[in-house]
Amino acid sequence: MELDELKQTWQQATIEKTSNKDIMELIHQKSYGPVAALKRVFRKQIVAMSLIPLILVVTNLNNVSAVFTSILFWCYVAFCIGIIVFAGYNYHIAGKMEEMHGEVKQNLEQQVNLLEKRLHWELIGLRAVLIFFVILLETVPYVQHYRMLDKWHSLSPLIRFGAYAALAITQYVVNRRLSYHKVGRHLVYLKGLISEMR
Amino acid sequence: MPDKSLKQRSLQQLQAEEEFEQQVRLHEALLHKVCRLYAHTDADREDLFQEIVIQLWRSYPKFRGDAKRSTWMYRVALNTAITGLRRKKDFIQSYDPAMLPMQQTDDNSAAVKEEKLKEMYAGISQLNEIEKAIVMLYMDDKSYDEMEEILGMSQGNLRVKMTRIKDKLRQLTKQS
Repeated sequence: MELDELKQTWQQATIEKTSNKDIMELIHQKSYGPVAALKRVFRKQIVAMSLIPLILVVTNLNNVSAVFTSILFWCYVAFCIGIIVFAGYNYHIAGKMEEMHGEVKQNLEQQVNLLEKRLHWELIGLRAVLIFFVILLETVPYVQHYRMLDKWHSLSPLIRFGAYAALAITQYVVNRRLSYHKVGRHLVYLKGLISEMR
Repeated sequence: MPDKSLKQRSLQQLQAEEEFEQQVRLHEALLHKVCRLYAHTDADREDLFQEIVIQLWRSYPKFRGDAKRSTWMYRVALNTAITGLRRKKDFIQSYDPAMLPMQQTDDNSAAVKEEKLKEMYAGISQLNEIEKAIVMLYMDDKSYDEMEEILGMSQGNLRVKMTRIKDKLRQLTKQS
């Protein structure tokens, strides 16, 4: 059977409706696509990270001056700001990924480009967080005294830095696996489609 | 004054929605075809249809009219089906008779034709996402110019692909 012989039958065939929902009603519904779900996650991250420092202050209202003079609190605020900036960047990227009106090939290339960019920055962000965390643990005791850090600093530098190295390796391995699970397979699929179109 | 401009804006919004609905209704069949080719179950088809309509509405203000409306709709529908709503189970893994278009068969030749169409659909369901899109546009009698505009592939490449797909489908229908 040839495709050309079936053209007419295909065009004349009555296509059964896949949805009986009203179009006007549909356009007012929210998208449940994966990109829309990602955007919702990033929005929630931004809200949560904006609220947590406030909650810390509110729960310590009887001793606000101690909170404001704590170097850990300000480091935490800096961390939250970093996460907010990164979530905002991700939100912006996801918004671009939602654009579906371009040519199919161009759209696929854009999706791959944006996903790779996002993965690249995620890797940089995670490394930055780890370095920030190590610097914090190592320098804070010289500036302010925290009982919880005394035990850690009583260990030899070899053990401490060995632990940081182990943490960096674990982070690298876990992140590789997670990012492959989250977007890696999708990236492979998209790249396969692009090479199919070349 | 603000009340007046608010009223005017909501009136414009209503007009845009009505115009959009008319456009979608006019080309609704192509959306259902995309859903039938790319989604597996009834629920997935309904989800895909909803997602495509939402994406069309979102990109409606950006549609400048420098492409045909059907071209724009094909682009959004195919992009959404291929990249926007991908879950493994959404894709047709094997022959699914429920995806076939309905057609009355009053005589024997029509029944044979219908049977052949079913075979061809079973073959199409085994193609990859890009091949499905090419076949769909070809069956909808789109010119290579239009196919290029929708898919972004060169005409030479499309012709080569089309020949390969035809061979592949011939093989697949022979096997079945």
